[in-house]
Amino acid sequence: MTQETYPINVWINEERLAKLQAVNLADMAEEAFAGLKVLRVPCTEAQRDKVLATFPTAKYDSATTKSIEQLPRDVKDKIFDAVIAKGSLNIMGEFLAQY
Amino acid sequence: MKIIGHGGKEIVERVMDPRQAVDKIRGLTRIPIRDQLAREVVMLSYGFFTPLQGFMTKADVDGVVANMRLTDGTVWSIPIVFDLANEEIDAKRIKQGDTLLLTYQDQPMATLDVEEIFSYDLQKMAEKIYGTAEEKHPGCARTYKYADRFIGGKVTLVNPPKMSEPFDRFFFTPRQLRAKIAEKGWLRSVAHQTRNVPHSGHEWLMKGSWIACHGDLPVEKIVTGIVVSAVMGEKRKGDYIDEAIVLTHDALRTYGYFREDVHITSIVLWDMRYAGPKEAIFHAILRTNLGLTHHMFGRDHAGVGTYYDPYDAHRIFDTISEDDLRIKPIRVLAWWFCPVCGEVTYSGLCGHTKERQNFSGTVVRSIIQDGVRPPRIIFRPEVFDLIMETAEKYGFGSPYVGDEYLAKRNPLFTVPPLKL
Repeated sequence: MTQETYPINVWINEERLAKLQAVNLADMAEEAFAGLKVLRVPCTEAQRDKVLATFPTAKYDSATTKSIEQLPRDVKDKIFDAVIAKGSLNIMGEFLAQY
Repeated sequence: MKIIGHGGKEIVERVMDPRQAVDKIRGLTRIPIRDQLAREVVMLSYGFFTPLQGFMTKADVDGVVANMRLTDGTVWSIPIVFDLANEEIDAKRIKQGDTLLLTYQDQPMATLDVEEIFSYDLQKMAEKIYGTAEEKHPGCARTYKYADRFIGGKVTLVNPPKMSEPFDRFFFTPRQLRAKIAEKGWLRSVAHQTRNVPHSGHEWLMKGSWIACHGDLPVEKIVTGIVVSAVMGEKRKGDYIDEAIVLTHDALRTYGYFREDVHITSIVLWDMRYAGPKEAIFHAILRTNLGLTHHMFGRDHAGVGTYYDPYDAHRIFDTISEDDLRIKPIRVLAWWFCPVCGEVTYSGLCGHTKERQNFSGTVVRSIIQDGVRPPRIIFRPEVFDLIMETAEKYGFGSPYVGDEYLAKRNPLFTVPPLKL
C-alpha cells in the first residue's frame, strides 16, 4: 500500500521554471490547472502536523485539494529553494529540522 | 413617484436631515450598537429590506420561523432582529412606546421606536432557519450570540453615514440603483452576488446569466445588464479584503471584459448567515428591492460545509409562486476549465468530465498566495495585478484578511460627528 502523503503545492511561474530547468528538474513539475505547473512537495503525517504547528496560517485542506495550504509566500520560496538545492522533492525532513 | 419593492410594497426611505433631527433626538436614551446592527440600520432605513421598515416584532419572527412569511403574508426568510441584554433594558428603563437613540462610532446614528420587547427560543430559531441547531454552523453561532431580549420597531436614520473610499463609488440605495438602471435603459438586469475576486469561472457565470436573462429581447440595442452586488459585512480571517473584491469586479468592465453599457459594480451591507436556500430567498428579496429583474444562483449558493445539498438553493424557488417573488432566479451549474476544449466551458455542455479542471477557491487562492500569475484564460492579468495592488494599498501586504486588516482596516463607513 502506498503511504499517504500530504503535499505542499508550490506553483511554478516562469522564474521558478527557469531555475528548475537549470538543474534539470523541470520534469518534476506537474501540469495542474489550465497549463499552470505545480511542484507537489510531499509531507508525511508527522511532517504535516509540524508544518501546521510551526506556521499558524497554514491549513490542511482535507475537503478539496487534500494538500497543505495558506503557507506564507516566503516559506514557499524557501521550500522551493530547498528543492533546487537538493535536487529532490523529498526535502521536508531537513527543512523542518531548522524550526 | 412611488417605487415598489418586494411584496408589492412601497419602498420607504426613513432618513431625516441631521439638522432637523437634532431637536427630536436630544435627551433620548442612548444605545450603542455593534457593527452588524449598524449595517442593518442603514439597510432598513434606505429600504433595502422592504417591506421591513424596522426590526421585527415577535409575530413577524414567528411567521418567518414557521412558514417563511411576515404577518402580512409577504415571503421573508431570515429574521432581522435587534437584540439587547435584559440588564441594559432594566438599567435604562426601556419600555414599549419609547424611542431610543442608536449610537455607532460614538455618534448618534438612528432612532428605534420600541413597539415591542420580547424574548425568543434561539434554538428553535436556529433549527428552523438553518435546518440545524449545531453551534459550528456560523448562522447558528450568530443566533446563539444574541442577547436575551429583542426590541421590535421602526428605525429612522438621523445621521446618514459617509461611505469610505473606495466603497463610496459602489454604494447605491434602491432609489439610486433604480435610477442608474433607468439611465442605462435596461429592461432586464441580473444580480451577481459575490464575496470573491473574480476568476474566469465567475466571469462566465455572469456572462452566461446575462445571455439567459436577455433571452428573447431584441439584440440591436443593449437593454440587459449585469449588476455585481458584493456583500460587505463581518470579515473572517482568510476572506478576500473588501477593497480587492469591489475593485477587481469593477476592473472587469474598465478593462473591457464587460462592455461599459452592460455592467455595474455595487455593494450591499450584510453579514452572511450561510443559510443556503433560505439565504438565497433573502438575496432575491434584497435584489428585488434594488430594482433587478433576475438573480443568478450558482452551485452551493450561500452554503457552508455540508449542511445543504449544492442545489438546495435552486430548488427552494420551486416552492414559491412567481406572484410572491418579483425576481426570476437564473439557475446555473459550474463553469470549468477543459483542457480538451482548451477553454473555460459550462459543465452542462462539456462532455470531457474526466479531463475537466474545476475552479477551486482553494487552488486559486494557493496560486495567488504564491504570487504566481495564472494563465489569462483562468485569471485576467489586470485583475491579478489589481489584487496585488490592493494588497499593498489596503491589505497590509495581503489580499486576504489577517489580524492587521481586522484591527486597522478602513471602516466601510463612518458616522459624521453630530452635536446635540
